[in-house]
Amino acid sequence: MRVAEKIKHDGGMPAAVPAQPSAEASVPAGMRRRRAVNREGLEAGKRSTRTILWILLAASLVLYGFPFLYLLLTSFKPPIDTIAVPPTILPKEWTLVNYVNALGRSGVVASIINSTQTAIISTLLSLLLAVPAAYGITRYKTASGRVFIMAALVTRMVPPVAIGIPLASMMASAGLADTPIALSIAHTTISLPLSIWLMASFFEAVPQDLEEAATVDGCSRLGALWRVVIPVVSGGIAVTAIFAFLASWNEFLFALLMTAIRSQTTPVVIANFQTQFGLDWGSMTALAAVYSIPVILLTLLLQRKIVAGMTLGAVKG
Amino acid sequence: MRITDRRFALYLMTPAALFLAVFVAYPLFRLVADSFFRISPVLGGPRDFVGLDNYVRAFASEAFMGAGWRTLAYTLVVVTLEFALGLGMALLFTTLGRKSQVWRTAFLYPLMIAPIVAGLLWKFLMIDNFGLIGTLLHQAGILSDPNQIGWLSNPDIVLFSVAIPDIWLTTSFMCLVLFAGLQNIPGDLIEAARLDGARAPAMLFRIILPLLRPVIAVALVVRGIDAARAFDTILIQTNGGPQSASETMSLLIYRTMIRFGDPGLASAMGTIYLLAMLGIAFFAVATIWRPGKDS
Repeated sequence: MRVAEKIKHDGGMPAAVPAQPSAEASVPAGMRRRRAVNREGLEAGKRSTRTILWILLAASLVLYGFPFLYLLLTSFKPPIDTIAVPPTILPKEWTLVNYVNALGRSGVVASIINSTQTAIISTLLSLLLAVPAAYGITRYKTASGRVFIMAALVTRMVPPVAIGIPLASMMASAGLADTPIALSIAHTTISLPLSIWLMASFFEAVPQDLEEAATVDGCSRLGALWRVVIPVVSGGIAVTAIFAFLASWNEFLFALLMTAIRSQTTPVVIANFQTQFGLDWGSMTALAAVYSIPVILLTLLLQRKIVAGMTLGAVKG
Repeated sequence: MRITDRRFALYLMTPAALFLAVFVAYPLFRLVADSFFRISPVLGGPRDFVGLDNYVRAFASEAFMGAGWRTLAYTLVVVTLEFALGLGMALLFTTLGRKSQVWRTAFLYPLMIAPIVAGLLWKFLMIDNFGLIGTLLHQAGILSDPNQIGWLSNPDIVLFSVAIPDIWLTTSFMCLVLFAGLQNIPGDLIEAARLDGARAPAMLFRIILPLLRPVIAVALVVRGIDAARAFDTILIQTNGGPQSASETMSLLIYRTMIRFGDPGLASAMGTIYLLAMLGIAFFAVATIWRPGKDS
């Protein structure tokens, strides 16, 4: 019993953090990140301090979480109560009528389908281009690779409003005006640099011996990439896919500039609610909730991986 | 017939490079080219070469200079507050240790929300008459009238009000990145400082912040670029108003292009805007990061 408890104790403690020499030896890139971490270094010791800190944390979380909660609560109010003066936090009467109204409006369901379609195409396109490129950059450290990753970073600075119009007219001359394909290409211009950056960090952590062993066994370089390396970084690919998906799902400006009726995505529809239907806050909040909750749930489910992905690029510096 | 490694790497990069060339570099080239023409908004309308005239008009226009200063102020406010709040939260999570992990995850949720939804949501909280914030402050006895502040209708403060959703959305990102950076600070360094009798402020300013510098540089630059491009949250909250008091550069360019139908002038503005952003970003990286000076 006591032994079991001790093991459990050790397993759950800061020891779970790194400091395994074997892992460090085989993954040189990981060393900088993992060296001599001691979670206890900054942890507060005194009980009174900790209590105050917990109260502070609870207060910030309540403040931080409240806006979205209020949106949800509002979406369940009867439409007329959403603009009551003074407003109330809780609905006096719970109803789903806003959801029925919002989803029943013409074009709303179609826009959700468009958003999904666009995000999926853009994610696939982004991965298809980013995975080989990132591999080429990290595995063969050529001068062109260094130039390319810098260029990819600079594209991050390009304001969408600056290239949106020329891009839209290019798509129109290619006969792709107002299609999910055109919009997903535009969204890929946003997600591709990020995907390359993320995938490069993941490939960096794969030991080179892996492909060497594969090529010795008679694999071609492409074969080694496909059969050996890709399976190893599949977790990284999943993270990159989530980011590319979110970038497209939540994007508004390109969607505003490049879509009309056929391929309109939900963010544009939400914005249009304002002008088209006056102040229908009930339907707006309901649609916003419908659009946000699936991605919030998805990302909470996969949070571990996402956290890893988000911090990777920045922390490696 | 085995191709060299160098060539193989090049082949791997080619599709992505071509994509970026066609869909980013070429539209950018079109933007810069358009900035030298006066273009009729009608499709196939006249297109006259006017040299630098659009640039002269841009710099002479009050709207453009105003939007430039507002964009700068907006970016500074957003990034400063986000950094302060994000660092505070990251320190809180670090000092509380593993037990706060679940809450750290919960803290991430705004990152998944579309900016347009965030803008809508905060507009709903701050709007005159039925906005909740004014009402709550009134009920708490802080304001004599729920509409006293006029978050989104008072031109003097609207630029800061429209920044709130942006801050709310991405403080999580700051917190996450800084938290990860904090985990990398060697524990013995902190121990040593503590044995030397360093107090909390000294610990923060002398040890933690200098060690975090590369992380801070990346986080500030990434967020600064995003904030300088802010569009969705402002458009849905105020559409740049009242009296253009919240009109930032993205909104002005959008309006010049779409509403006023002057693509030539809009392109000149876009070109200046892009060059300014590149300049500031490189300057920021060079000063905050100071690579090579650390060790």
